[in-house]
Amino acid sequence: MSTDPEDGRERRLYVESPIIMATVRVVAPFVFTFGLYIMFHGADSAGGGFQGGVIVSTVILMLGIAFGIEPVREWLDPAAVVAVVGVGVGAFLLVGMGTVALGGAFLDYPVLPITKASKYGIEFVELAIGVIVSGIVVGLFFAIAAGVTQDDDETDREGGLL
Amino acid sequence: MVDPLALTLLSLVLACALATAVLRDVLGAIIAFAAYSLGISIIWVVLRAPDVGLTEAAVGAGVTTVLFLLTIAKTVRPSGDRLLVSPDPKGLAVAALLVGVLLTTLGALPPVGSDATPVATSEVTEYYLENAYKEAGVKNAVTAVLAAYRGFDTLGEAVVVFAAGVGLLVVLNKEVFE
Repeated sequence: MSTDPEDGRERRLYVESPIIMATVRVVAPFVFTFGLYIMFHGADSAGGGFQGGVIVSTVILMLGIAFGIEPVREWLDPAAVVAVVGVGVGAFLLVGMGTVALGGAFLDYPVLPITKASKYGIEFVELAIGVIVSGIVVGLFFAIAAGVTQDDDETDREGGLL
Repeated sequence: MVDPLALTLLSLVLACALATAVLRDVLGAIIAFAAYSLGISIIWVVLRAPDVGLTEAAVGAGVTTVLFLLTIAKTVRPSGDRLLVSPDPKGLAVAALLVGVLLTTLGALPPVGSDATPVATSEVTEYYLENAYKEAGVKNAVTAVLAAYRGFDTLGEAVVVFAAGVGLLVVLNKEVFE
């Protein structure tokens, strides 16, 4: 299992199109930032954790389609993706139960000892939702894509079945 | 309802939905389905529901299309000269019956944009619109409802996404956890 993305890109290319690869290289950071913007700014405009999470996860989908799903999968351990989803649920529960522990109701943000507790609390919860959603979408992408490129070389299957 | 924009969008959505149903080529059907989702998301924006429109564009037109494309990459596509499928008459009858039954409820719906809808006149809506900024500190009332007033529901939703996703991953591929 290689953790070096450059190594993976060199070995097997999914779509051997320099135009697509260059475009994804340029566009991916902007899409990632836009997803984070939707997630954080959901409190004041349209958007929120669910939408932002999906947009953030499309960065991984773009990378997978441009540079090959197997190299991206090797670079981004699927077990870590699932763990990240658990972290998202845990973060949401932490805020919800934390306010209960501090003597308030569930998600009773004003009891948190920070300034603008309600606003930042809501944005933290949106971020947690975004982490859950993006983790699940990336996990589904990897799971469904498992074996798509396996006929390229059968010998490497045990290295990156998923 | 003679707004030309709405008429264009609705006919686009209907045409795409029909194309999705009758196209024999699976790839073509998936592309038509993505166009359908795009049309629906524009309709949501026109109806002033940008949150829902954003979700439809990201999930319906984006991620679902990619997942469908991956699925047909792993399955066999039927080949043939015919462009359209010949629909099963029994299935068509059931579908027509269902649509007919659902259409009978259309008359009970308030007109689009009417200020007398229960959504607009309910005192719950009034309360959220008046107090969301003061109590939750956020300008988007939808977010205030989701993350503050109905936070426990949202936790349930998030856990449903988590449980459904992990369950699917287990079914699709066990190796992910090993």
